[in-house]
Amino acid sequence: MSIPFIQTRALEHVYTAEDGRSIPALRGIDLTVHRGEFVALIGPNGSGKSTLARHFNALLLPTAGEVWVDGMLTSDPRHVQAVRQRVGMVFQNPDNQLVAGTVEEDVAFGPENLGIPPTEIRRRVDEALEVVGMTDYRRHPPHMLSGGQKQRVVIAGALATRPDCIVFDEPTSMLDAEGRRQVLQTVRRLNAELGLTVILITQSMDEAALAQRVLVMDGGRVVLDGPPEAVLEAEELDGLGLGRPYAAEVARRLRAQGVPLPRGLLTVEALAAALQNI
Amino acid sequence: MHIRVESLTHIYAQGTPAERVALRGITLEIGPGERVGISGPTGSGKSTLVQHIAGLLTPTSGQVLLDGVPAHARTPEARARRHQVGLAFQFPEAQMFELTVSREVAFGPRHLGLNADEIAGRVRWALEMVGLDPESFAERVPFALSGGEMRRVALAGILALKPRVLILDEPTAGLDPRGRADILARLRAWQAETGATLILVSHHLDEMAGMVDRVVLLANGQVVADGPTRSVLGDGYRLRAAGLSPPPGVALLEALRAAGWPVRTDVLDIEDVVSEIARWFFNHKDTKTRSIINRSF
Ligand SMILES: Nc1ncnc2c1ncn2[C@@H]1O[C@H](COP(=O)(O)OP(=O)(O)OP(=O)(O)O)[C@@H](O)[C@H]1O
Ligand SMILES: Nc1ncnc2c1ncn2[C@@H]1O[C@H](COP(=O)(O)OP(=O)(O)OP(=O)(O)O)[C@@H](O)[C@H]1O
Ligand SMILES: [Mg+2]
Ligand SMILES: [Mg+2]
Repeated sequence: MSIPFIQTRALEHVYTAEDGRSIPALRGIDLTVHRGEFVALIGPNGSGKSTLARHFNALLLPTAGEVWVDGMLTSDPRHVQAVRQRVGMVFQNPDNQLVAGTVEEDVAFGPENLGIPPTEIRRRVDEALEVVGMTDYRRHPPHMLSGGQKQRVVIAGALATRPDCIVFDEPTSMLDAEGRRQVLQTVRRLNAELGLTVILITQSMDEAALAQRVLVMDGGRVVLDGPPEAVLEAEELDGLGLGRPYAAEVARRLRAQGVPLPRGLLTVEALAAALQNI
Repeated sequence: MHIRVESLTHIYAQGTPAERVALRGITLEIGPGERVGISGPTGSGKSTLVQHIAGLLTPTSGQVLLDGVPAHARTPEARARRHQVGLAFQFPEAQMFELTVSREVAFGPRHLGLNADEIAGRVRWALEMVGLDPESFAERVPFALSGGEMRRVALAGILALKPRVLILDEPTAGLDPRGRADILARLRAWQAETGATLILVSHHLDEMAGMVDRVVLLANGQVVADGPTRSVLGDGYRLRAAGLSPPPGVALLEALRAAGWPVRTDVLDIEDVVSEIARWFFNHKDTKTRSIINRSF
């Protein structure tokens, strides 16, 4: 059963530049994200992904239209705190998001700001570190960790505020392949095991392929919305310059040469298996 | 410019509890006009190494020589050489401080003593190189841009220097796929035309493969491989030993090979990966068809 968690109605966002020029970043977005969904948000640079994401936790407010989070209107000042508690954010560069001297202090930072009692904080920190697999590093200084580990600490910090949803804004773009794998595995597990609603912004079509649903933005609008198998091989993506997952691109070229491969092969593993079974 | 890295060691925060050995006796030579990729797991020392090449850090021991002059020295010769090295940092946001995009991009050229027309020309050229329309972006505030737009501005700022040695530290993080392909293609063309040295630091091995002739792998502050692109990036075993995952084409061919297909696995370009699979697939199908025909007679 799907329960709406985030809803936008005719959402518009217009930035005003220093010189007074208007920069329309969102041009009428009607969107529903359901509880427990794992949504990938893709689109060219400047298409409005980060702007949209910032509306999900009231970091930005609509210049027109509405955003509802768990039944609360984000533009109602009484709800800002509650909305921020429901939706957490993880950004691209973990270094800018780690503030404390040890990993556990860092994870405790969010709940402390919410005024949560120390014993409860303790419990949440333990739990969050356990979930991301960083318990052994609790007393380490965060700057001594690898990029993938740092990003997992940032995720633990977001989890400790007990959100229902986390928006990840390009969380892997600074990581090596192993760091990316670690973070994505953590994200998938949070979604599958804790039912966390996940919104993953990415420039990697291979990462988008891991989601249940892919939203494509262009020029401040959502132009495609559907399961990865349908969206990531759509002809329209060529026009947007987004390309395909690596395996899907190899499969497309092999099909053109007469190799009878089906569509929907989005990962290297799936393609290798399909080739062996022809 | 000739770059020589000699037994270079770098220790951060030496003598404090946070002490960190980032580079352990690295020796390396990069000739004029070479196109070199540097990769390695997070924390392996890549950014530290390229900051030394740009003369921005002082070695704990060892040295970097730019045409025979220590890169970090406080002499006019060293300064002149540093001016020919352009380094685009991994985290460009940290570097931006001007109030408009055009001033940000013009910052470097202004310090090279160029006249106003030359500077304006460079700014326009650099913005076009990174795919930003000068009309709509020149007067924007660099901080009030999208992530990918900001990165493009930072890149443009380095390109506008037209350096003899161009060092790019994770230049494509945050760029959309078309932007990445277009910018890399223009950089390739510019490099070919000018004969500049190109040093590309990246975690994206398939992207690196099309850009460089030589790849240096770092692990734990040491050079663990240094050789022609295909021999380093096509060797899944060695990459894994260094803590890296092979490029996707190599991983695909390895999976097929493990399943008994006698394909080569050191293939990097996607077109060649496709040919390798197609070639073997059709040979194999022929033998299959032939054996079916044989049986039916
Ligand atoms: N603080 C700001 N002030 C003014 N304009 C902004 C601001 N932030 C973003 N913009 C503009 O709004 C549009 C959408 O930006 P946004 O950051 O949402 O894009 P994005 O899809 O996240 O892009 P990227 O992939 O580059 O991160 C762009 O045209 C951008 O220049
Ligand atoms: N300013 C600093 N102070 C202390 N230690 C540092 C500093 N900068 C880097 N280090 C440490 O030095 C080592 C090498 O870091 P460096 O940034 O060169 O790695 P890298 O290969 O560029 O990693 P990445 O792929 O994550 O960018 C790491 O262990 C890192 O934690
Ligand atoms: Mg963004
Ligand atoms: Mg680095």
